[in-house]
Amino acid sequence: MSTKNTDVLIVGSGIAGMQAALDIGDSGLNAVIVEKSPSIGGKMISLSKVFPTLDCASCITTPKMAASSHHPRVDIYTYTEVKEIKKVSDGFEAVIIKKPRFVIESECISCKKCEEVCPVYVKDEFEYGLGVKKAISIPFTNAIPQFPVLDESKCIRCGACARVCPKDCIDYLQKPEEINIKSKAVIISTGYEITPMDAKKEYNGTKLPNVISSLQAERLLAPHGPYGKFLRPSDGKIPDSIAYVQCAGSRDESIGIPYCSRVCCMYAIKQAMLLSGMLPLSEITIYYMDIRAFGKGYEQFYNQARAMGINFVKAKVAKITEDEEHNPILRIDRQEDGSKPQEVKHDIVVLSQGLVPSTKNFFGLELEINEYGFINQPQKTLSPAKTNIEGVFVAGVASGPKDIPDTIMEAGSAAVEVINYVKSVKVGS
Amino acid sequence: MEENKIYEKEHTINENYRQKPKVAVYVCHCGGNISDVVDVKKVAEELSKYHDVAISREYAFMCSSTGQDYIVEDIQKNGINRVVIAACSPALHELTFRGALQRAGLNPYLYEHVNIREQVSWVHKNDKEGATKKAISLVKAGVEKVLRQDPLNSIRVEAVKTVAVIGGGVSGMRAALSVAKNGLNAVIIEKSDKLGGKLNRSGNVYPTGEKAISVAENLSKEVLSSDKIKVYFNSEITFVSGYVGNFQINVKRKNGEYEKIKAGAIIIATGFDNYKPYEGEYGYGLNKFVLTLPEFIEALEKSGPGKFNYNGKDINSVSFIHCVGSRQIDGIDKPGKNGKINEYCSRVCCTSLINTANNLKTKYPDVEVFDIYTDIRTYGMDHESYYKEASKNDVIFFRRPLEERPSVEFDGAKIKIKTKDVLTMNEDMEIETDMVVLGVGMVPNDITDLVEYMKLPKSSDGFLQEVHPKLRPVEVANNGIFIAGTAQGPMDILESLQASNTAAVKAAALLASGDIPLDPFVAVVDEDKCTGCEKCPKECSYSGALTMIEKEVNGKKKKVAYVNAALCKGCGACAAVCEPRAINVAGWSLDQFDAMVEAIAKE
Repeated sequence: MSTKNTDVLIVGSGIAGMQAALDIGDSGLNAVIVEKSPSIGGKMISLSKVFPTLDCASCITTPKMAASSHHPRVDIYTYTEVKEIKKVSDGFEAVIIKKPRFVIESECISCKKCEEVCPVYVKDEFEYGLGVKKAISIPFTNAIPQFPVLDESKCIRCGACARVCPKDCIDYLQKPEEINIKSKAVIISTGYEITPMDAKKEYNGTKLPNVISSLQAERLLAPHGPYGKFLRPSDGKIPDSIAYVQCAGSRDESIGIPYCSRVCCMYAIKQAMLLSGMLPLSEITIYYMDIRAFGKGYEQFYNQARAMGINFVKAKVAKITEDEEHNPILRIDRQEDGSKPQEVKHDIVVLSQGLVPSTKNFFGLELEINEYGFINQPQKTLSPAKTNIEGVFVAGVASGPKDIPDTIMEAGSAAVEVINYVKSVKVGS
Repeated sequence: MEENKIYEKEHTINENYRQKPKVAVYVCHCGGNISDVVDVKKVAEELSKYHDVAISREYAFMCSSTGQDYIVEDIQKNGINRVVIAACSPALHELTFRGALQRAGLNPYLYEHVNIREQVSWVHKNDKEGATKKAISLVKAGVEKVLRQDPLNSIRVEAVKTVAVIGGGVSGMRAALSVAKNGLNAVIIEKSDKLGGKLNRSGNVYPTGEKAISVAENLSKEVLSSDKIKVYFNSEITFVSGYVGNFQINVKRKNGEYEKIKAGAIIIATGFDNYKPYEGEYGYGLNKFVLTLPEFIEALEKSGPGKFNYNGKDINSVSFIHCVGSRQIDGIDKPGKNGKINEYCSRVCCTSLINTANNLKTKYPDVEVFDIYTDIRTYGMDHESYYKEASKNDVIFFRRPLEERPSVEFDGAKIKIKTKDVLTMNEDMEIETDMVVLGVGMVPNDITDLVEYMKLPKSSDGFLQEVHPKLRPVEVANNGIFIAGTAQGPMDILESLQASNTAAVKAAALLASGDIPLDPFVAVVDEDKCTGCEKCPKECSYSGALTMIEKEVNGKKKKVAYVNAALCKGCGACAAVCEPRAINVAGWSLDQFDAMVEAIAKE
């Protein structure tokens, strides 16, 4: 097993992990990022545009990805799981497992020929299941690194990719590889998943084809998305009437998620604004409990959306069903006019799901987490990036839902704390 | 002013730029942001026929690793010595691509960034043909410009390894501590006689429930015991001069003495002020039982056990009103002294107010509590539980429509609040109450002088403006100046500390290497051509950047213009008045502009 020494081990390469790595590298220390997916970039690289500036997400994320991968003091392991992290006398020892891509990375020239000839289509995870890709493929256009991954479970072993590869680097027998990482400190930036589509049974999220997740909506709105247009999945129709259901997975004791996820109001408003630009004749309605536009420039953004004619309706959606043409039907209770519960029909419904931690298992580290699985910050009013373990820091959504600007601030904060910690232990040793 | 040492570092590894120009043109699709409107293939094809262009390509994302690898490969293997990229705004990626040139061994300034997104595809969505034509013209102009480009070297200035932190509240203290632990010196300049800022108050803070004052004390103990931090109490800043790496802050101390503080970077942590309601705003100032939230928190802490008594009156009911001085709407709310309304949300008041309502209920369970709001924004991880607790505590909530305002009226000793309530089908409600508490928002502290000394940019909400909320969230446009905490906008304590730490890491990275690279886009004087007419220094707005000196040129003593490269901002005002074209901004010479205009006009 090979061993790599570094100053800081960063788990997760979303915007939090990348920003922390860049700040650490710029300050003269070394960092290793470990990422379980085949590309760095996290959730942010899959978003359409970002609030409140409406920059395209790629435009902000790709340079951070490129900067991390080019940084002389940052090393990145993608498609790699963390098996365990142990605290030892002089820092931390981690075992990571590099999963087989079934491609010899040192030889691959990213020519995509394997992808072209592969006869097997599989659901594209990057498009959250909306599009398809080949069983061997580069994860997405601006992925880093640009190595294809072979989906072992779907591959039919036809050998087409191996025959076409000009560098002979398809290796069907590639095995996982274990690597030791020794570091002085650790940053956990493992991020989030959105609440599962079936979390709220009444919304039938996994059963109704035209009830989609907010991340699927992000892909439909992205300029390089799966269809190149905003189409509804059941029949490819351009929707005339689109509804957003707020708090579909937050502030809801019935599904065990009572907290507010902080970002859903704003991303729904953003998506509604993008939709209204894309489909100017469509009706867009946001059903909400409270609009929480609390960040810098957010209230102005909300006001702009109202001025654009987006309907904001104070109502809790009780249930979603559909008619025979797969048009979703929402049962709602409007607060404002005191009318009786009513049923309204839309062409497509987006669930504004909340954020849940991506993992509750921290590789054997005895991190204190709260009842929902987010990492506790025991020094909230002194050094909020610190965890209960000396030398382990947290950045981004791993400690609780937050938006991108707040996440970037936390990454900088974790970076300075970790740099100062490493400097102090180096002096001590 | 002392002359500072200026270093020059050679960027160019090989001398490839001296050879016959071989330009590479790259046209970026920006996902579909550009290619949905502009025919990028046609642009690349047209440019491949243009003079001196050796390679012309288009690609989905030039900023991605693959895109950048094309550039590196073309330079290293195909002998490219000048590069033009047609993509987004240079504000986003000019630095990204200069980095790629540098990695490939080419001088990073032999590069031209043509904006065909903001200036073409986004503004000509309905005219694809016209947009493509315009893109072609602009890229050709870019080629003309880069052909006349000289290799440049960044200017390097020596940096003072001290960070000056303005303001000694939680943000300033956190920033100073992190900077000091990093090995730099920190100086805190505080106008009052103690550290802690707004936390030197009564009451507790969410979400930890600690006493506000002990939060301040925990940090100030660390600050005062650090031998790397010097605190100037009772100090007023009278002027700020200099530039990144070498700022000078003039401070007037309480004893009337002046002192000059030298710093390589400045962190502004001047914090916020509480919104002050005008007289009559919800009855404020007309009745002593209408209080702001901070006033109420103090009153609550001072009141004794048993019954809640304030100003000689037993208080049996308290009504809280949200969004006072925040989320204001034009035409509904009265503008402030600056003639503007506060459109922004102050972020912290909902949780702070509900926390206080819960504290009131804990101390005096029999007091009736009413809460008039339009949206409850208890957004944080633990904040929603305060809202839930308030409901359990029987706080009675009234939800006003977004564009309606409650009224506060006085009838003898009685206070009446009238409001519409969405929760009861928009009924008009009347609440009789003994006390009204106004949930006042945050406004920026008055730092007019600092803004003027440092020429700081402000956002429309009056707080300081960062360069970009995601790319450069704690930097202002002025090099070497950072923002920490609520000087930037409303934040709670935890968020302020995180932001302050981010300011600290950026300041520390800036000063880590001892000298700082600056952009070379400054005025340069062709001393042969300079006639010594003295017109240009009069146009210069940056004190000390452009002066006249007596100098020997070609064996003759003559008067010529002289540029201090560290102070020059490259604005070009000097070039505009120079008839013989003796002064030019490096990288933006008039000859380059001539050629660009010609290329565009030729079409």
